[in-house]
Amino acid sequence: MRVADWLDERLGWRRVWEAIFLRKVPKVNWLYTLGSATLFVAVNQMVTGILLTIYYVPTPDQAYASVQYITTQVPAGWLIRGLHHWGASAMVVLSVLHMLRVILHGSFKFPREVTWFTGVGLLLVVIGFGFTGYLLPWDQKAFWATTVGTRIASVTPLIGDSLMRILRGGAELSAVTLARFFGVHIWVLPVGLTALLLVHLYLVIRVGISAPPGPEE
Amino acid sequence: MSEEKPITRRSFLATAVWAIGGLISAGLGIPAIAYLIGPALRSRAAETWIALGSTSKVELGTPTLFRARIQRQTGWIVNEEELSVYVLTQDARDYTAMSNICTHLGCRVRWIADRGEFYCPCHNGVFDKAGQVVSGPPPRPLDRYETRVENGQIYILGG
Repeated sequence: MRVADWLDERLGWRRVWEAIFLRKVPKVNWLYTLGSATLFVAVNQMVTGILLTIYYVPTPDQAYASVQYITTQVPAGWLIRGLHHWGASAMVVLSVLHMLRVILHGSFKFPREVTWFTGVGLLLVVIGFGFTGYLLPWDQKAFWATTVGTRIASVTPLIGDSLMRILRGGAELSAVTLARFFGVHIWVLPVGLTALLLVHLYLVIRVGISAPPGPEE
Repeated sequence: MSEEKPITRRSFLATAVWAIGGLISAGLGIPAIAYLIGPALRSRAAETWIALGSTSKVELGTPTLFRARIQRQTGWIVNEEELSVYVLTQDARDYTAMSNICTHLGCRVRWIADRGEFYCPCHNGVFDKAGQVVSGPPPRPLDRYETRVENGQIYILGG
């Protein structure tokens, strides 16, 4: 406690703690935990994702072998990869459920519009994570899913073909594609996620969350 | 009679949250440590007899360099590596095979025929022809391999 007091006199952390965890919230139900659940899985994805980069190599000649090495040779590698793999699906499911709750309760209305905007951005980032991460194991499913996925971009009017080439880093799926998907997956999207998430959480604390609408509203 | 502190709903939940959080952190943290240090704890692959070459190439009383190609598995890659071994014999019966890896910090030593010594260029380590330290920082003699001679071929035990 003495250490906590000493730090509080210098950092004022207790006020921050109280603002985050001891804030007043309306009487809500279990559906209001979906955002926290998404945050929990996001932290899981960050921790396991960082761990996976310790062994994963994003080159066509080694990506698959390094993933097999993680899964079969490294202690608890199956667990770390499994958590990341299933966590990825959970991220998408929980984000969408969280969004549905917000829509159904009208929680996106004044004064929470910006919370909603950042939430929409976060959902797009999560989908980007899913799309880029799917290629990284570099197995048949990954290869052909990304072949199809990038091909879909090519039906965009006018710029479609250029868009596909930019996604692939060339006309075909190649080492360039794998490297840029990896770079986007572990650098670009995490930065975007962190930035949006901080604004999102700041607004949840600053503006507060909405109460479930009653019959008279 | 001792007065028992009543457990409030609030303190119970707070404790439960910390306990569950701690369990989850340990559940991920302990495997994470095993995951990180695992490959370092792996013991070397079993040693095998590696053929170096013909005994007729070994000069009497002079360390002779042999090179052998070996396959080594590191992580998910199988590498072909070259092993350099100095073989010394005084009587063409007993052979000594020495590693060319300096016992100081792992640079490669070279046999200098003029001076009759092994020399390590990194920190001036010097070994005599039997691999004993003459001068410089090396803490122990050059490492030796177990040797075997069969049909005029020298083999060393390594991996």
